[in-house]
Amino acid sequence: MTPALQVRDLTTEIELTRSLVHAVGNVDLSIEAGETVGLVGESGSGKSMLALSVLGLLPGGGRIVDGSVCLDGRELVGLSEPEMRKIRGDAVAMIFQDSQSSLNPTKTIGEQVAEPVRLHRGASKATANNRALEVLELVGMPRPKERLDDFPHQLSGGLRQRVMIAIALACEPRVLLADEPTTALDVTIQAQILALLDDLRSRLGMATLLVTHDMGVVAGRTKRINVMYAGRIVETAPTAELFSAMRHPYTQALLGSIPRLDSDRSKALASVPGIPPDLTDPPPGCRFAARCPRATGQCREHEPPLTGDDRGHLFACWHPVDGPITRPPELTVGETITESFLQDTRPSDGDHGAHLLEVTGAVREYPVTAGAILQRRVASVKAVSDISLHLDTGETLGLVGESGCGKTTLGKLIVGIEKPDAGRIALEGREVFKLRGGRLRRARRDLQMMFQDPYASLDPRMRVAAILREPLAIQGIGSRREQEARVVHLLEEVGLPRNALERYPHEFSGGQRQRIGLARTLMLEPRVIVADEPVSALDVSIRSQVLNLMKRLQAEREMASVVISHDLAVVKYLADRIGVMYLGKLVELGSGDDIYLRPTHPYTDALIKTIPLPDPAAERAKTGPGIRGQLPSPVHPPSGCRFRTRCPRARDVCGEQEPPLRTFGPGHLAACHFPLRPAQSAKDARP
Amino acid sequence: MIGYVLRRLAVAVIVVIGIAIFTFLLLHWLQPSPVYAVLGPKAQPAAVAVWNRQHGYDRSELAQMISYLGKLAHLNFGYSYKLDQSVGALFNENAGRSAYLTGAALVLSLIVAMPLGIWQAVKRNSVGDYAATTLNFVLYSMPSFFLGLILIQIFALDLNIFPPTVSDSITTAGQAFTHPLQLTLPILTLAGINIASFSRYMRSSALDNLAQDYIRLARAKGLSERAVLFRHLLRNACLPMITLTGLSIPTLLAGNLLIEVLFNFPGLGLLFYNALGNSDYNILLAYTVLGGVLTVLGNLAADVAVTVADPRVRLA
Repeated sequence: MTPALQVRDLTTEIELTRSLVHAVGNVDLSIEAGETVGLVGESGSGKSMLALSVLGLLPGGGRIVDGSVCLDGRELVGLSEPEMRKIRGDAVAMIFQDSQSSLNPTKTIGEQVAEPVRLHRGASKATANNRALEVLELVGMPRPKERLDDFPHQLSGGLRQRVMIAIALACEPRVLLADEPTTALDVTIQAQILALLDDLRSRLGMATLLVTHDMGVVAGRTKRINVMYAGRIVETAPTAELFSAMRHPYTQALLGSIPRLDSDRSKALASVPGIPPDLTDPPPGCRFAARCPRATGQCREHEPPLTGDDRGHLFACWHPVDGPITRPPELTVGETITESFLQDTRPSDGDHGAHLLEVTGAVREYPVTAGAILQRRVASVKAVSDISLHLDTGETLGLVGESGCGKTTLGKLIVGIEKPDAGRIALEGREVFKLRGGRLRRARRDLQMMFQDPYASLDPRMRVAAILREPLAIQGIGSRREQEARVVHLLEEVGLPRNALERYPHEFSGGQRQRIGLARTLMLEPRVIVADEPVSALDVSIRSQVLNLMKRLQAEREMASVVISHDLAVVKYLADRIGVMYLGKLVELGSGDDIYLRPTHPYTDALIKTIPLPDPAAERAKTGPGIRGQLPSPVHPPSGCRFRTRCPRARDVCGEQEPPLRTFGPGHLAACHFPLRPAQSAKDARP
Repeated sequence: MIGYVLRRLAVAVIVVIGIAIFTFLLLHWLQPSPVYAVLGPKAQPAAVAVWNRQHGYDRSELAQMISYLGKLAHLNFGYSYKLDQSVGALFNENAGRSAYLTGAALVLSLIVAMPLGIWQAVKRNSVGDYAATTLNFVLYSMPSFFLGLILIQIFALDLNIFPPTVSDSITTAGQAFTHPLQLTLPILTLAGINIASFSRYMRSSALDNLAQDYIRLARAKGLSERAVLFRHLLRNACLPMITLTGLSIPTLLAGNLLIEVLFNFPGLGLLFYNALGNSDYNILLAYTVLGGVLTVLGNLAADVAVTVADPRVRLA
């Protein structure tokens, strides 16, 4: 049988003004009708360029240099532009990552879905609109008829992604190229979209290429996986075999570097040192050689061919490994640093008996205004509603939840960037927002934040030395010479070379920038740091480097930290205790094991079940659609228990009474009327 | 929407009153009374006092200001003692001609600048783009009267296609319309400067949009490049032009000033220019207030137009 899509020896280059990017080199790939094949790689590995090559939609300066792309046996390379246009959107369709920017903001959903039908089928406006309605129904759009006249900004991210899928399916393509189709979505919505894609593939018999950086996404949904590194396919194998018996060291390291729910927290994550090679000037031998622990002279000089012992499993390596890493590396923690640089300036009131940080009944709401002449406050977005928790020295608290659950706002309240509307936040027994002037400034020294986006959070016009010295200068700590010595010391701590000081942020990779951000956070030796999505902008192999670093620095210092992430595995790896948030409420709080092994709130349970695991067997064993529907509006949260609208166990009482936090074990609290396990005592408890 | 417009109009009235007060005080501070402009610089103090009393210029400044604002509320802009006519009548006569000049120049600028900007964005970094950019920068950096002089030299004096100045026989906007040759050079001059800045904005807006994923998705649907540009890019790329157009209406009016003087075209600009020389007080005041009104209304009109054109923008 001819595969629906067959790519042979494809080489794509992109010509820039002064250089030539060897984006894709000698790639072979084939997908049968009704089959999903995964293409996994980090950013810049050429996976998107490969997909765009198939469509003939390379960016400016890009061209296919060599090789062939066959659609049902028909050669596409070399077709004229008008011929290619007939194929795009018809026989081959593509789904892009970001549904926010991929839909035309000034055209209605209906127009956009109907457009390819009118173009390729020559359908009348009415026929095309009917087809649009049909496809929107097919992709599970609620009330599709009403949605036809909506504009993209009126839909949530998950619904927009459904629209994008509807556009791709409008002409019933033979081949669907899905480029990071769920990366911008929350885990609960991600699970819905992946299930939808899978269902459509089997019903319509499409050949699907699932392009992603996330091993968990491909684990349960693909028949085979191609691993791409620096423009080459380095390994290809049936899904189960790739996870259990990989041969390429890159695949091994990639899988080993992902924090998993069952990872041993005392062990370090496997990490790949360094960064991928520059594709304008790729190394002559194996492209992974510079980062590979097994590399020899042969690897650096001769490129290994893609071969294998059996037909289905091919790899390009001179010194292949045999299966996954069996012994994770130990976490190397240095001596605990007790001698403080800031010792003399720290207020010493010794034993205060209170927790290091105590949040009591914190509320934060953002006003929504309306009115013609006078702006009246008509409603408010309930970002954080009555949350209480505490934190002790040396402890790490994780906060997880879908976007919009208020976890970032809570983080900002903790470090004092936002002021609570009600409730108190106390550091060592003193309420932060009651402090004034110098005392407030000193308290701020103890509360620092590490930001998500390493590109936006560093001033592009400041050199690294100035960025790192600034906190000390603002707080007026030490002489200039002392400040500079401290900067050099911390730079070393986070593993950056000394010559980094004189460079600007844009000269660093994302991982290096996040190290700079971490160094800046630690500059004032804070008592509490809040890390908001510290690694979500980083590639998998870089992510583990930063996670290991954060874990080591935390262990060496006497401080507490709060890690905010949508990625439950990251939180599980870093945190001692975990708080699960839903729509401004803390629904469950407990140790990592409490949350993952003994989830008590139905939301926690569902959230854990929807995380895509990098484990094909576990992924396939999953049943059920996960959490239904969308997150309700935080302006009008449901009465009683806020999760009740999506909860399978909800009964009448859930809408009438708000469930209090009850104790389910030592330090394990959950707020549910119908918990998954019995409460320890009937007595209500507060943390 | 209506509530929003009403609120903005209410704010606009306050802003315009502020502008009127400020301009009034400024002019009074420079020259407390137009008496010397009327009676001549060597007028006798007794005559000056009599004239001031007759025309109310002996009252306190506050009283004068309140009475001025009161008249303004009834659209009474005062009296031009030099031209011996009410300012309202003078504006009535001249406004149509100025509006024609401004409007024609604005329409021409948009017609040329929008396609030019998109073309430059599509052909970015090509020889044509660089040539257009260079020309734009030259025009942009050029004072309008200088461009006018160059156009007069080439098209009127050397080639003799258009008249170098507007004929005195053109007295109404209607006549300006029926004698297109007469106004070609002033319109071209005004438009030339505008095209330079408009097309730069258009180019960068089109470039921003071309880099968006929805353009890539449109191509992935199989649309031709032409369809991508017309069906998807055009409307989105033009959105910033709406605001720009609204903001440029008062600027164009100010630009008229030099052009009307240069081509001897009887419009508000020329009226203002002559009033400046004659210290014709009430005209100066009225022209400045009119500038304020146009700025506020231009902004409001642009904001309303944007909400119509861009479904993402909601007035609140």
